[in-house]
Amino acid sequence: MDPRCDPRMLPALDALLRLSLSGWRIAGEVRVEPDGTLLVRAGDRRLRVARAPAPLPFRWVVESGDKSRGARSVAGLLRIVRAALDKDFRPIRLRIAPLPLAPP
Amino acid sequence: MIEVAVLTGFLGSGKTTLLGRLLKSPRFARTAVIINEFGEVGLDHDLIETSDESFVELQTGCLCCRMRGDLVLTLEDLLRRRDDGLVSAFDRVVIETSGLADPAPILHALMSDGPLARRVALAGVVTTVDAVNGLAALARPEAVRQVAVADRLILTKADLVESKASELSARLCAINSTATVLTARFGDVDPERLFAVEPATGRLPGSRPRPVAPPAAETAGAQAHHAGVSSFALVREEPIRAVALTLLLEALAEQCGRDLLRLKGIINVAENPERPAVVHGVQHVFHPPAWLDRWPSEDRRSRLVFIVEGIARAWVEALLAAIEIEVGEVADRG
Repeated sequence: MDPRCDPRMLPALDALLRLSLSGWRIAGEVRVEPDGTLLVRAGDRRLRVARAPAPLPFRWVVESGDKSRGARSVAGLLRIVRAALDKDFRPIRLRIAPLPLAPP
Repeated sequence: MIEVAVLTGFLGSGKTTLLGRLLKSPRFARTAVIINEFGEVGLDHDLIETSDESFVELQTGCLCCRMRGDLVLTLEDLLRRRDDGLVSAFDRVVIETSGLADPAPILHALMSDGPLARRVALAGVVTTVDAVNGLAALARPEAVRQVAVADRLILTKADLVESKASELSARLCAINSTATVLTARFGDVDPERLFAVEPATGRLPGSRPRPVAPPAAETAGAQAHHAGVSSFALVREEPIRAVALTLLLEALAEQCGRDLLRLKGIINVAENPERPAVVHGVQHVFHPPAWLDRWPSEDRRSRLVFIVEGIARAWVEALLAAIEIEVGEVADRG
């Protein structure tokens, strides 16, 4: 495991995905695999969530069947997972202007 | 900037009476009024004495349902007439919604319409609650949403009732624990305390808002649910990185949509701990975070208050935790 990866990340993501399924009212389960990936099962859908390998410009990869999608952040990861499981999900794409670090 | 205040409240809760009283106050002499009436024949405008033509009645339907465009056009027209000297140079607009309106789409219109948002600033949402019939009205989802988005709750007709007041107050607190509650007796309430906001603190002068963070025993769960609406507060001892705050707001907007009725927060940003940042959001529309000049008190914890419909506090906590860990990982990698 990459020592720069925070060991709290995997349990945090596990908890977030479990609570997300509940909040989305989707019956399913989340399981942490020994290799550090997360398996999300809901109905006949199986998603595998893993850290993206170093050369990719993503932080996360979500595999579903033979398709894989990259996410740049936890927020992006949630969007991909929900879109894969919830056919009614219409994400509101919003860009928040970054907070200026030097107040006026 | 012209202040725009939204006055809402369920049918018969005393909005028009309150507005009529306010407009007689010298403090409200330079106020334009937009009234939205629901029904074939409008009466409210006849019940309010106004001194000039800075008064518009929107009678084409319920403002929240399909007339947001009308509201924007009306406000733009009013501002144009002010610029051209055709109406008095008002410095405040009060929008009185119909009793059945969900105020959130109205706030959207004010906050998200680019040209309009550059000229007007939302001065707050005032919701009247009938002390006599308020408990019954709160069985209606429209009334709950009106309470949920309020900055001030005005208990009207309080002179008529004493016994139900505490039960009603508890109910209001359960729906929206952060709004300041004022009492109007015989339609009177101090105008100074209604719309004025201290810029540095976001608080009403002289008011004692209920604590943002509930006592520890209450923080384990959200406040009691009413018609699916609940409120809770997240408190962070450690500063939050600016990028984590941005990602959190984006994720909330994307995932929660209209279920996020209101979000208010004062944030200790790690990169600038001496000046707190303030965030405001209604559903998926957020004001850009703004900086206060200084902390309003010794309490420098980040506090985020959520008023939501069907969103679990635990989920928001898990989301923020994951985002903070991720931002920390990226920062550590340089």
